[in-house]
Amino acid sequence: MNGQYASLLIALPLISAFFVPLIKGLGKKTVKYYLVVITALQTVIAAWVFQQVYTTGQPIIVVAGGWKPPVGINLYLGHFAALFVLIVAAVSFMMAVFSVRAVEIEPIDKYAMLFLLLMLGATGMIATGDLFNLFVFMEITAISAYALTAYNKTGEAAEASMKYIVLGGIGSSFFLIGVALIYGSLGTLNMAQIAQLAGGMDATVAQVGLALIIFGLAVEAELFPLNAWAPDAYQAAPHPITAMFSAFVVKAGLYAMARLLYLMQAVESWGSVLKLLVVMATLTVIVAELAALRQKNVKRMIAYSSIGQIGLMALAFALGTQSGVDAGVFHMVNHAIVKALLFLAVGYVAITLGGTEMERFQGLGKRMPLTAFAITVGAVATVGIPLFNVFWSKLRIIIATLDVGYTWAAVLVLSASVVEAVYYFRLLHTIWFTGEGEKVSESMVIGLVMLFLAALVVVIGVYPDYAWSIAQKAGEDIFNVAQYVKNVPLMGVGA
Amino acid sequence: MISVYYFGAISLILIGLYAILVKKNLLKILIGLSIMETGVNLLLVSVGYVAGKSAPILSEGIRPSQAVDPIPQALVLTAIVIGVATTAMALSVAIILHEKYGTLNIEEIRRLRG
Repeated sequence: MNGQYASLLIALPLISAFFVPLIKGLGKKTVKYYLVVITALQTVIAAWVFQQVYTTGQPIIVVAGGWKPPVGINLYLGHFAALFVLIVAAVSFMMAVFSVRAVEIEPIDKYAMLFLLLMLGATGMIATGDLFNLFVFMEITAISAYALTAYNKTGEAAEASMKYIVLGGIGSSFFLIGVALIYGSLGTLNMAQIAQLAGGMDATVAQVGLALIIFGLAVEAELFPLNAWAPDAYQAAPHPITAMFSAFVVKAGLYAMARLLYLMQAVESWGSVLKLLVVMATLTVIVAELAALRQKNVKRMIAYSSIGQIGLMALAFALGTQSGVDAGVFHMVNHAIVKALLFLAVGYVAITLGGTEMERFQGLGKRMPLTAFAITVGAVATVGIPLFNVFWSKLRIIIATLDVGYTWAAVLVLSASVVEAVYYFRLLHTIWFTGEGEKVSESMVIGLVMLFLAALVVVIGVYPDYAWSIAQKAGEDIFNVAQYVKNVPLMGVGA
Repeated sequence: MISVYYFGAISLILIGLYAILVKKNLLKILIGLSIMETGVNLLLVSVGYVAGKSAPILSEGIRPSQAVDPIPQALVLTAIVIGVATTAMALSVAIILHEKYGTLNIEEIRRLRG
């Protein structure tokens, strides 16, 4: 098959979103099943792209309208994008299945539309090869995320959404100023050409432009000074959406940040931008982990834990070495699986027992044993116990930090794990050793999804080699910019 | 040579940022957000501006070499549309907030803490 079919990854969710109003006439249930079907289709296409890219070892370059880059906009589905597009589609599919049970509030057709647009935006951010196209996809993601955050129509949801909108607005303005600076000095928006020309860029302009872009993306990537919206939005959003935020929306922002950072490696002042990111990532880890300790609401606690993990990934990317990037990508994959599992299980508890406060989890081990088991696997994995997947990626991050001589960063990762252990084991104690209760019947379908994710956690934990080799290829895709430039068929215009 | 447009753009951005950071009324914050976006758009257009050239529209007597850079203008058109969507979204959320809390003062809208 022709590689250009990969453009269906963008086209399918977009066209399907516009068909939702037509489907609505067939009934409310139909809309939910329509969502499941479309996300399943998307997963199939993404799996095909993944299989293509990883067997041939060549990226798929989708050229829009036959215009060669840099005149036309191209999609770049390299090793990283292929892997993450698959994760985006698969997590969306699971959350679409979960939505059948979890989302009862009207208007369900708007929910389906925004759900598809959120998936589209994240896919686009990961796949695009053009700086301004990245901005457009980022805004698609952000605006659908604002709307989905406010979807429950409670005061809290509106409040969280408003925080997100204001911070997101500031972030996108910063990002655009950065784009203006880069375009003004290089005269191109194509990412491969930016990488090609970056060496000749004025060091100060590049530094300011890159720093502004990192600040702009930090809102989506939930890095410290700009992540105040995240715990609120995670808490107030519908449960499937929270899992999507944590599993891939934030990863798309982080990936865009890492990609742009490494594209401009040739810039003289690159090191100082890396230092900025190291500081932001460190503060993110410290603040988020300490905030998680004093949470009474389990969903909010896991949200803070998620932000802390994102900080670790940003730290790994900010090391500026191949092993750091590989470790960061590996942690991204593991974290996507674990947090999808945790938010799915916690969300399922919330819709069955009516809330996510700590007291509701008392006796969960007796009331909903399967869900309690899923939460246990997720919690133990996040802490980084051996034989679970996150252990290996944390280990890789520690090795990468020691490689560049940042002993304090290794200490940071380890102490973050200790703090995580404190609050996750407190939750597990509540679940298994306190409270009594009657057994509640658990849904088969959601149970299967949870078991599948839990099995994935354990399988990667016991046999990490295959996942690690995939993560290494994906990391290579981000780090090896010369190869990236070579892969994009640039027309010989300009420089 | 630094053009006056850059000063205008930067001051608009700073005015917007000031409003967002300092004002207590939600609507004023949203106005600040819009001002900031306008400033960024002006900055983008002025990046592509060449003194004495005409708009990049194909018309009689104007050759391609006589037009300013069209790409920033295309970018700004997109950015304006996105800005409108964000503003509409923000205002509708502000309506819900006013219904639920009975105020637009951000110091009183804080049920989510910790």
